[in-house]
Amino acid sequence: MRGFNPVLMVTLGCLLAASAFAADVQMTIDRQLISLLDRAVLKIEFIETQGDAVDIPEIDGLEFHYQGQSSETRIVNFKSSSKTVHTYVVTPTKVGDYTIGPVLCKFKGGQKEVSTQLRVIKPADDPEAQQLTSIMYSRISTDRDAPFVHEPFGLELKVYLRDGVQIDGNFGIRGGLPESGLDGELQWQVAGRARAEISGAIFNVYTLRSTAKALTAGTFTFQPQVQLNIVIPRQNRRSFGFDDPFFGDLFGRQETRPMVLDCNRLDIAVRPVPLAGRPDSFTGGVGSFDFQVDVGPSRVRVGEPVTVKMRIYGEGNLEKIMPPSIDDGLDFKLYDVRTVPSQNPDEVRFEQVVIPKSDAVTNLPPVTFSYFNTLTADFRTITRGPFPLAVEPGPQLAAQVIATVPSTIPQATQILGHDIVYLKPPPKRWILRGDAAWHERQAYRLLLALPALLLAVGAGLARRRSRLAGDAALARRQQAPRAARRHLQRAEQAVRNGDAAVFYEAAWAALADYFGHRLNLPPGEVSLQAVLARVPDGKEAIASLFETVEQRRYGVRADAGASEMNALLRQLADTLRRCERMKL
Amino acid sequence: MTLLRSILVVLLLAAVPSMAQEEAFRQAGAAYDNGHFAEAVLLYQQLLDQGIDNPELHFNLGNACFKDGELPQAILHYRRAWYKTPRDPDIQANLRFALHAAGAVEPSSGITGRVLSSLSREEWVLLAGAAYVLVSLLLLAACFLRPARRTLLKWTLPPLALLAISAAGFHAWRQLVRQPECVVFKTGATALFGPMEGATAHFQLPLGALVRQRETDPKGWTEVEYDGKRGWLKDDLFERVSP
Repeated sequence: MRGFNPVLMVTLGCLLAASAFAADVQMTIDRQLISLLDRAVLKIEFIETQGDAVDIPEIDGLEFHYQGQSSETRIVNFKSSSKTVHTYVVTPTKVGDYTIGPVLCKFKGGQKEVSTQLRVIKPADDPEAQQLTSIMYSRISTDRDAPFVHEPFGLELKVYLRDGVQIDGNFGIRGGLPESGLDGELQWQVAGRARAEISGAIFNVYTLRSTAKALTAGTFTFQPQVQLNIVIPRQNRRSFGFDDPFFGDLFGRQETRPMVLDCNRLDIAVRPVPLAGRPDSFTGGVGSFDFQVDVGPSRVRVGEPVTVKMRIYGEGNLEKIMPPSIDDGLDFKLYDVRTVPSQNPDEVRFEQVVIPKSDAVTNLPPVTFSYFNTLTADFRTITRGPFPLAVEPGPQLAAQVIATVPSTIPQATQILGHDIVYLKPPPKRWILRGDAAWHERQAYRLLLALPALLLAVGAGLARRRSRLAGDAALARRQQAPRAARRHLQRAEQAVRNGDAAVFYEAAWAALADYFGHRLNLPPGEVSLQAVLARVPDGKEAIASLFETVEQRRYGVRADAGASEMNALLRQLADTLRRCERMKL
Repeated sequence: MTLLRSILVVLLLAAVPSMAQEEAFRQAGAAYDNGHFAEAVLLYQQLLDQGIDNPELHFNLGNACFKDGELPQAILHYRRAWYKTPRDPDIQANLRFALHAAGAVEPSSGITGRVLSSLSREEWVLLAGAAYVLVSLLLLAACFLRPARRTLLKWTLPPLALLAISAAGFHAWRQLVRQPECVVFKTGATALFGPMEGATAHFQLPLGALVRQRETDPKGWTEVEYDGKRGWLKDDLFERVSP
């Protein structure tokens, strides 16, 4: 114990004790007095410690929504403090005095019960309201008590808001709808707004409408929740910090408060389309429809197409109706029916091309459309036709075919033409399938290489020219053999003519020009010494040549024989050839 | 004189088959004019079987098939004629007419696709060759004419661009070999979500629909694209159009 410093021990102990005592839990609420349309922010703060969010016990008249956790650390005068905050939004549904808690909060090193008080009063402009549901509520209803399968039925959702309650005009419908059995998702539209007196109070009534279609029979339950945003004036005593889950408008004059309204339960019993009495020509239509058929052209030749245009219009499941079929017998060739896009949502159009096979055909048989009438709860059958056709034999000339653009292009019927274009005359040249195309032949491929080859040669030449223009020594080196050859030819001629003077002049010129160009020497500076200084070997032969030619040039013997000149010429040529192979 | 006579004989002998083909072609036309479309189809088909591959033959055969009520065959031959002469308005008109009569969607392509298919494969090759020769000559001139080198190099840019476009055009036609077009030859063809019997139906294809092959399955299934949708078809439901 000798080594321990008692002062340090005491300080450490004090710090540990202080930190233990500093840990605390507090429950705070931003306002303890609010109106029924307002809400409060409740916080549970773990000071100098950490703790999990706690479940606030349910209280009749209040709803709690957990918003999340935040942490805060501060350092003031080298002293740090931290806290963990769990935030809840408190939404009142009734007026009254409430005690929130006590709630047991556990933290590192202990636990503590916390509670707070909240008082909810009536809205200032509505002294009668005791609870939220008397200020705002919603009701759902339908225009058909027991619709049939595939029969569209209307749904009406009315939102009642006590006069004075302001909303931002946005409605959200969530949950409470059948999960399956309906055709598509319901699309709600705000149909109108009205004022109504209910139990002596004035209400603003917003009406939302939608249309539903059941795909199966059975009972469908509707009990949606309506979400809306109430606009309330901002409370001056409140502060808007970033820890507040709601923010007011830009200038802080008002704020919106999301609210979810419950709704009554609506059960709709959907009846199946009866099997009894269902005609063969029933193609799934449920509703109230009319049927129209046009056939054209009515005068054709054998093999020419006739277009049958069918239009079904009215109210009901138009998009589910399959096209009525045509009884062709053996007289017609039938093509697939196609649906023609239509701008009118209350109709569906089909087209079918039929081709009479013989000139014995006099008419197109009747076309029948059957549907289930939901108003009278029975099957109805509409028959159109027969349609007279005049079919002539032989080649056709100008059969008029109205073709339509299928697919998704939203376009009305379009006349494409009256007939196909007539035959083409015989070609001038017959092409055989086995023949290789001209661009696949070997000759063409070789021809293709020619420009590239020319380009390569040209580029090489241009490069060489450029090098020679920039390098005088190289250019002279290239000229050396040519210059020597020229003079050697002159010397040969002189030998043949027996002219010794010209021969030795030419021999000297060959030596001087060759070594002048080869060694890049100025014209007056070609001498034996200059040459021997640069030539690595064969010096004796070069020196002998130089001396012989020098001697003969200035001391020409008139009797110099052709044999001597020939020998010298050969020696000269050999020496220059050897020099040409040398690297100088 | 003997040589001249020999040349004449050779030319005459060479002309005999082409005269026979022309005669058969005219006979088919006459049968068509008389309303004997099936006979016209037969005669044109015989020429085709002899290895003749002219666009005129495919066009006329398409006409005869159309009049004979055989829309898929008509579409097949119109399309084959179109491959060879894509700018021929008659072929375009009849192909569109036949497709609409069949209730089939025209093969759609964007602006690039339309540009690239505006010339046939041979025309793209010709254009590419011309651009290549021009580029070579300009570069060659630039090698020797130093003062004008910069200008000449600038002039090579348009033919170079043309060369690139031609290459893209040629590539587009080559794609028709790798991913060929096919015509649906059986009614009630339904494209499925997967290459197996009993797979979920995706969409229906009308008789004569022009589809593009995308994938193949060794078990006899092909993934086709039609009207922006892809689905699997059994191989026996369609016939290849592309070369």
